[in-house]
Amino acid sequence: MAVAVPREGQRRTERLERIWKESSGLLGWLTTVDHKRIGILYFFTSLFFFAAGGVEALLIRTQLIAPNQSTLDPATFNEMMSTHGTTMIFFFVVPMSLGAFGNYLLPLMIGARDMAFPRLNALSYWIFLCAGTFLYVGVFTGNAPNAGWFNYVPLASRTYSPGPGIDFYALSLIFIGISTTAGAINAIVTILKLRAPGMSLNRMPLFCFAFLAVSFALVFALPALTTALVLLELQRMLGFHFYDVVFGGNTLLWQNLFWIFGHPEVYIIILPAFGIATSIIPTFVRRRMVAFPLVALAEILVAFLGFGVWAHHMFAVGLANSTAIYFAAASLVIVIPSGIQLFAWITTILTGTPRFQTPLLWIIGFIIVFILGGLSGITFAAIPFDQQLTDTYYVVAHFHYVIFGAAVFPLIGGIYYWFPKVSGRMYHEGWGKASFWFTFVGMNVTFFPMHILGLAGMPRRDYTYPPDMGWSALNLIETIGSYLLAVGLLSVFVNLAISLFRGERVGNDPWGGDTLEWSTSSPPPEYNYAVIPTVSSPYAMWDREDRERDAELLEQGRKTLEEGHETAASTAVDAEWDEVLDMPSHSPWPPLLALAMAGLFTFVLLERWIAAAIFIGVMLAVLAAWHGGEPQEA
Amino acid sequence: MSEIPRSMEATGAGAVARVAQRRRAQPSGWWGMALLIATEATLFSCLIATYFYLRFENTEWPIGGIEKPSVTLPLVFTAMLVATCGPVFLAVRAAKRGAPGRAWWWLALAFAVQATYLGLQIWLFADDLGKFSPSDNAYGSIYFTLLGTHHAHVAVGLLLDVWLLWKLARGITNYRLIALRVTAIYWYFVSIAAVAVVLTQLYPSL
Repeated sequence: MAVAVPREGQRRTERLERIWKESSGLLGWLTTVDHKRIGILYFFTSLFFFAAGGVEALLIRTQLIAPNQSTLDPATFNEMMSTHGTTMIFFFVVPMSLGAFGNYLLPLMIGARDMAFPRLNALSYWIFLCAGTFLYVGVFTGNAPNAGWFNYVPLASRTYSPGPGIDFYALSLIFIGISTTAGAINAIVTILKLRAPGMSLNRMPLFCFAFLAVSFALVFALPALTTALVLLELQRMLGFHFYDVVFGGNTLLWQNLFWIFGHPEVYIIILPAFGIATSIIPTFVRRRMVAFPLVALAEILVAFLGFGVWAHHMFAVGLANSTAIYFAAASLVIVIPSGIQLFAWITTILTGTPRFQTPLLWIIGFIIVFILGGLSGITFAAIPFDQQLTDTYYVVAHFHYVIFGAAVFPLIGGIYYWFPKVSGRMYHEGWGKASFWFTFVGMNVTFFPMHILGLAGMPRRDYTYPPDMGWSALNLIETIGSYLLAVGLLSVFVNLAISLFRGERVGNDPWGGDTLEWSTSSPPPEYNYAVIPTVSSPYAMWDREDRERDAELLEQGRKTLEEGHETAASTAVDAEWDEVLDMPSHSPWPPLLALAMAGLFTFVLLERWIAAAIFIGVMLAVLAAWHGGEPQEA
Repeated sequence: MSEIPRSMEATGAGAVARVAQRRRAQPSGWWGMALLIATEATLFSCLIATYFYLRFENTEWPIGGIEKPSVTLPLVFTAMLVATCGPVFLAVRAAKRGAPGRAWWWLALAFAVQATYLGLQIWLFADDLGKFSPSDNAYGSIYFTLLGTHHAHVAVGLLLDVWLLWKLARGITNYRLIALRVTAIYWYFVSIAAVAVVLTQLYPSL
């Protein structure tokens, strides 16, 4: 009997293997609904856009290396600056965090076998790919947007921007907004419904709280952007008058709608970084996070408060004093939840036993630049100071500290941290540390002097500057810093690319990690877990008895759900087991629907309305085919 | 373990009703629709906020001598749409209680009224377009954009109805019951939005 029992577990995993197997090869990747494969697709696609945005940044810095340069002509400079911002925010950070990290890790962390809506998940990815391609078709055909990532009217109206660049911008952002909304809804439902039975909300990892907060923020923030963009396109294409003062429109309407979206977006960018920090710190200091409930609440509070501060981007446009004072005060309130998290991270590190390996270094670097960026952020809440420094490099310095340093460092730390899980191999530790120092130093050398230049009055967005302003030396230093930064970032990905083939093979849990994903093999099997895991705390991997119990359950064939493509669904708060779900398997419809939508957007751009209507018909036909079959018929 | 149901396998009317009765939490599909409604409601809020933002930035409203909207017909039509929440609700109740035949008829009744509503609204829309145009000024722009957005939401609801009527005519499954419940909350949302939109539309005359 004692010999027969292990064979029993082996037989079950083989059975699950057969049920969940997806076809390999190109067709397998095109029709995949596996959250891990979709996460990997998101990763490489957003990495491509990161590279594109990076090249644009280097071109901008090269142009500004010395006064009166002509590497870029003024028009191209505007295009590079606008495309850089748009790419980094919409096509790199959000897809990388929510798409790649969220997709790959959320189901693993909550003990599920897939996202709540696997085919919608695939659709989100294909729409993201099509929308990004759409924008870059514009860039490569000489129609890059050139009115900044915030695209203010009246500059963005047909009168002043007659070319299709702004239309590429607006339509690609409406397009990717569909993808992001679907992704956010999927993440919320996954977190609320598919947690392993027993993982009540208070036993959920902080990473998931951060992603829950981000997803809710996206659901409520994106419609404001979509509204602003649709109204803009109605004005540009059909002659409506929303932003047109002569016909009763208003230019500040754009700014209000844009920043009602835009400020929550800033927290949408940085909250996943908070989530990643709260995953990496406990593992590398070998203790649980300090003040767990406060940190969870602070993550949610940051997302919530972010909706009440938008007009601090508009202090210079002539708001009423009372309005400006309200928004300044509201902006200062954000310090409280940010401070809670900051002190919790620092206290956890100081009271633990830190191992200063690469992932933790990136998190410590993140904490330092987040403090610096946060401090310069507070200065903007002083309205006269803001009015003095708005549109100078001081602002550029501030937001690169927070949305490059603070938001992207943890993403890179996270890439190092989860690389062994995803690839089954370890990266090169020495190169990992070197890449951190290059990037950290490069980042500060690039962006710190911008504070000083801003205080000295150098305006942002100008394509060049005269030699006698005393700005030349610092600009030269910044440009050198940006090349150093590029070397640092390149060394991250060279390290990982080589390690992918040559790295040392690792087991399930090379770090002594804290959350569930480290209990399954590296890389995880298609079905994630042979047994729906037992969970009794947010640090599930450190509950030895639970993990031993999973092994027993596998032998006994309990909680293995091996009758089909199955996973467990629970109640939203207490995670009591409610039903067994039959999840969809591979489907050709998501990529086809995304293609049909790309057709629709293309013909809207060309203002060919009949062709656009035909593509709506194609979309409906694809949707009908998609919903023809039902789970019980599969 | 054995007491946890494989609810997706429920295909007969009785089995579906049993799954519906023992459910302790809303299904994933319900959450998905609830969140879609949240984001769409935010979209309507932005449009209505735009309407009033433009209104308070102008001294004259409607702008440029456009006549104020007439009140009666839009209110009557809206009442018609809101009234369909009744049959939609009854359709869900019947399906949950294992009577898919009755559910089909309630839904068909709702569909007939909703389709009539959309037809009448399109007729009013065309009539308005004869009087003033969205490219006249900002009032015309937001007026037609707001109404057009709502009509598009009604049209999507009608497509969901048609698809459900086709499915329910072939018997009930757990999947179709969830689809029906989800379509129902979509219609409740569209009805509430209709009230908000019509009050905004008629604001100059109220």
